[in-house]
Amino acid sequence: MSNRVKDAIVTLSFISILVIVFLINIIKEDKLISESERRKLASFPEITKSTITNGDLSQKFESYFADQFVGRDSFRSLKSFISLNVLKNKDNNELFEKYGSIYKMDYKINEKALQKSADKINEVYNKYLKGMNVYYSVIPDKNYYLENDDHLKMDYDKVVEIMENSLEDMKYIDISDSLDLDDYYKTDLHWKQENLSNVVNTLENKMNLNESKTQDYELKNIGEFYGVYFGQLGVNVEPDEIYTLTNSEIENCVTFNFENNKKGKVYEESNSSDKYDIYLSGPVALLKVENPNSESDKELLLFRDSFGSSLAPLLLKDYKTITLIDLRYVSSKILDYYIKFENQDVLFLYSTLVLNQNILR
Amino acid sequence: MIFSSITFLFFFLPIVLAIYYIVPKKFKNLVLLAASLIFYFFGEPVYVVLMIVSIISTYIFGLLIDKYKENSKFFLILSICVSVGILIYFKYTNFLIENINLWLKHKIDFIYVALPIGISFYTFQMISYTVDVYRGDAKVQKNILKLATYISLFPQLIAGPIVRYTTIEDQLENRTHTLEKFSNGVRRFIVGLGKKVLIANVLGELANKFLGTNDATVLFYWLYGISSMLQIYFDFSGYSDMAIGLGKMFGFEFLENFNYPYIATTVTDFWRRWHISLSSWFRDYIYIPLGGNRVSKIKWIRNILIVWMLTGLWHGASWNFVIWGLYFGILLLIEKLFLNKILDKLPNIIKRIYLLLIVMISFIIFNGNGVNEILKNITGLFGIGGISAISSESLYYFKSYLIVLVIGIIGATPIMKNFFQKEKLSKFVNCLEPIFLVLILLISTSYIVDGSFNPFLYFRF
Repeated sequence: MSNRVKDAIVTLSFISILVIVFLINIIKEDKLISESERRKLASFPEITKSTITNGDLSQKFESYFADQFVGRDSFRSLKSFISLNVLKNKDNNELFEKYGSIYKMDYKINEKALQKSADKINEVYNKYLKGMNVYYSVIPDKNYYLENDDHLKMDYDKVVEIMENSLEDMKYIDISDSLDLDDYYKTDLHWKQENLSNVVNTLENKMNLNESKTQDYELKNIGEFYGVYFGQLGVNVEPDEIYTLTNSEIENCVTFNFENNKKGKVYEESNSSDKYDIYLSGPVALLKVENPNSESDKELLLFRDSFGSSLAPLLLKDYKTITLIDLRYVSSKILDYYIKFENQDVLFLYSTLVLNQNILR
Repeated sequence: MIFSSITFLFFFLPIVLAIYYIVPKKFKNLVLLAASLIFYFFGEPVYVVLMIVSIISTYIFGLLIDKYKENSKFFLILSICVSVGILIYFKYTNFLIENINLWLKHKIDFIYVALPIGISFYTFQMISYTVDVYRGDAKVQKNILKLATYISLFPQLIAGPIVRYTTIEDQLENRTHTLEKFSNGVRRFIVGLGKKVLIANVLGELANKFLGTNDATVLFYWLYGISSMLQIYFDFSGYSDMAIGLGKMFGFEFLENFNYPYIATTVTDFWRRWHISLSSWFRDYIYIPLGGNRVSKIKWIRNILIVWMLTGLWHGASWNFVIWGLYFGILLLIEKLFLNKILDKLPNIIKRIYLLLIVMISFIIFNGNGVNEILKNITGLFGIGGISAISSESLYYFKSYLIVLVIGIIGATPIMKNFFQKEKLSKFVNCLEPIFLVLILLISTSYIVDGSFNPFLYFRF
């Protein structure tokens, strides 16, 4: 190949890529959300005098162009492939894959945040829950069950220690021995509902729900589940299967969403890109589940994060009503506006990932 | 706007290239000037006015120096005072206030100004222009648009290299655009983009992991030292490659800014290879006017220390930059006074290890946040303070970044360049080069689209 031909090829390739990408980016319609990343994509920035003069415009344009870039998902997969398979980085965007399962490198303990989470729980206790049966448990993130790789695990014992030192008036329930790595999805951070029998047994045992009856569930396959980590890592990992454990008692239960005042069912398929939202409608600040066929008169207040959505249906056999409160989305200051605090059982069930962030309100 | 951004690569650059090559020759400088002002406006919408005022002032002083030869020194000094005054106001005022306040009972308030991007680069270019006109090394530029094009030329505006007016004086009037030059520009640009995005940014992540760890080990201190040393080289030389490449695409030939600095064997040699446009600027506009080495020993030592203290200060308004500059000044003096005689007798490998250690420590000082952190990061390299040698975390990151580190180390030497320039391989290289370049462009794009870590270290200067 003569130098001139080579120069022509180099120039043409470069110009073609620039021009073609430019034209497609201009022509193609903008997307609102990214299915794979589970987030809203940036839209065309508003151009005002203030956005121009404060210098934000360049950053906003860059976010917009990057989010709406032609073939964004393919480019992200290419980056992930090069990073993990060619350069042999052990993680990509703080996510790594091991034995076909994806993990997030969310292992750094934030003692201040943990203390603030504990303080918030104490605040709720002191304001509403004194004299009631109050329990708490800490859900380990799945990294805890990794063999070896100690530095990639959050120090669960330290988390529990901080909680135990702060939450003196509540009873701690250790569920760490009731779980295993197989009890978590491969492509998601959550636990699998169908694997929670040991957790339920431990909770029932410690919460004196001895009269609880054993119950049969029908295992219903909802389909393939591409968890939240799947799109973020951008590599080919087999999707999970998602199931619900159901029976006539659960199917007859009625949910009430305080946010929109709507009634619903325990399991409802929605248009959400996250199939985990099938459990109690996904992230909801305040939700009450009533079990009309309950043989018990007991009620439960479950302060929870998203892990609680899949667990709560399995406690319905023990309670007439379960009220789920997610302190990430509702301020603890206004709870008595919605809930009458009487002699309910109370369980604080938060994952290490949430407690470590100081996001309880 | 930075070169390794979607906005620049896939919007700004294709539009500017298209307009530039469509318009007749007489409008090409005007297109470049407009593009450069938009480029700067996008990152600095307010300070673009400051740059325009500085350009007008430099233009007027150039004319005055040229016209009133008998008073030219006065106008030169005035022009330098204006340029340096603006630089001091925006870059060093708070540093000065901070240090003066140490001695005052009633503290002076800080001023609220942000540092205009690239001000250190374009101020030095303006000074070089007026000094060269004064010395008669350059003809005065009577066309303000051409002078403005030179000062604001976007490929080198915000992070260098510091292009002298004399380098592109003729090119502003008359430059050629050939396929060969353009394709060479594309090559340099893509290689620079890859150096920046695929090596500097990735190693920057590793350096950040160290800064975020609670469990620093000797291995982690070394990983930090090596990765930040490679990051700064690939970041800055990658940017210079992109600038030189873009210059070629628009018909300009800028001088080289780096020449494999990490294969140097002495500090003197290192500074002939590192940020060449800056060190030669200080040599020609500060060191030699002070008398250079043709003065008494005491004055020569003074000259060296002044130049290196200013070199340090140029990098930032902070004591660690001053220490960094003086560190190199003192080492240069030691080398020139006696160490070179000893080093000359040693094998090259020992000299290189000596130089690399010196440079690695220099960048620990450069990046340091306070004396304690700097000392901790230097002593940590030698395990002082009873820290453990290794931990599962540091081993994890060592393994995770090993390939990039090896690529970085090899890429910082001319090994690959020499290998591919072998005659036997020319056919093979000829065929594969375009594919290699396209792959680097696409992979770099994928890293940028993914929103990975993408700072530009030299933007703060």
